[in-house]
Amino acid sequence: MVRIVVPSVLASEAEGKQSFDVEAETLGDALRALPVADLLFNERGELRHHVNVYVDGEDHRERGGLVSPLEDAHEVRIVAMVSGG
Amino acid sequence: MGVLALIGTRKGLFVLRAADGRDRWQIEGPLLDTWGVYHAVVDERDGTWYAAANHTTYGPTVQRSSDGGQTWRRSRQIGLPEESGLVLNATWHIEPGLPEDPETLYLGGDPGVLFRSHDRGESWQVNRAILDHPTRADVWIPGAGGLCCHSIQIDPRDPGRIYVGITSAGTFRSDDAGETWVPRNKNIVADFRPDPYAEVGQCPHKLLLHCTQPDRLWQQNHCGVYRSDDRADSWLRLDGNGLPSPFGWALMLDPDDPDTAFVIPARSMEYHYGPGGRLAVYRTTDAGATWESVSNGLPDQSWTVVLREASAFDDESVYFGTQSGSFFVLADGDTWLEAARHLPTILSVEVTSWSA
Repeated sequence: MVRIVVPSVLASEAEGKQSFDVEAETLGDALRALPVADLLFNERGELRHHVNVYVDGEDHRERGGLVSPLEDAHEVRIVAMVSGG
Repeated sequence: MGVLALIGTRKGLFVLRAADGRDRWQIEGPLLDTWGVYHAVVDERDGTWYAAANHTTYGPTVQRSSDGGQTWRRSRQIGLPEESGLVLNATWHIEPGLPEDPETLYLGGDPGVLFRSHDRGESWQVNRAILDHPTRADVWIPGAGGLCCHSIQIDPRDPGRIYVGITSAGTFRSDDAGETWVPRNKNIVADFRPDPYAEVGQCPHKLLLHCTQPDRLWQQNHCGVYRSDDRADSWLRLDGNGLPSPFGWALMLDPDDPDTAFVIPARSMEYHYGPGGRLAVYRTTDAGATWESVSNGLPDQSWTVVLREASAFDDESVYFGTQSGSFFVLADGDTWLEAARHLPTILSVEVTSWSA
């Protein structure tokens, strides 16, 4: 089980819920299980360009990207890049 | 009867309400905070509000509300098929269908795409004939505003006859409910192309059909103001007599008079403000033969513009919002009232009747 923390814009799109406890093998599976997955991924299933994802404080790109196993991870944090706004 | 205005901005949706006199306005908002609302409209068939909402980080969607903007629901993910090689860049315009098609709405987007919903906006299906149009690959070249399908007009006599306006592509008409589309750009100049009178590749900025004379359409184009009296089969250029510039975005009509139209010229695509640094509205009452300035109440100097979705009209008046965040209404004869100022950049304006 991993806890996914989302920023306020995404929380407001999920009835105010700021975190989600998700059971998933990979980071991509966990993110796609969220009720705001359509805002994180485009229609190709690609993570939107201005979305950063950190797993226990580490940029997900540094640990194998979306296919990386979550294993013992505790927290996934979604952060909007400053380049997005 | 009062009026309710939905003002889409770069930072959400503002709602303005006024009683019949249109001289005092109440402001609510922003709703959909942080979303860029390219267009919002009230579906007068059932009262649902729809917003073409785009977020710089989280992408394009459609939001809809059945309780007057208190709560919103996103449509299911809107996208383009993988084999097209395209992705949806933005949602631009929502057009409710005719009363006899109560479940149907249309959605225009970038890159030059049209969607239809058969379930009141819960899901959207792309129109393949526009997506796969044979002229797309070679001729549709995105301009500064991308390839946006910003105008969708349905003939009130025939739900199968639909017009779309797409920047840098042109005006297209379907007579078979979207199964096929023919370019309808005859006599419209595209002075930025090697062949300025090509069949396709013109840049309409706003396209409107007249509700009581549906064979008549008006168009503010990148290269002039035009009118058609034959369902867009041919166009007549109208900006040579009284308009200070052929360029602009905004277009407003008078539901009671097919010969009346309003435009707000801008100097050119390089400047994006009114000629002489003036915000000025021009009106014709003779189907475009002549134009007169209707600018009492507007600032003498203003380096702003009115964008393609940021003007509206009803039976009583005309309305527009500026890039600098002011909302104007023609409230008293030929004098404009600044009903709101200091809003975020106004992207869109729509009005509907409202009673307190």
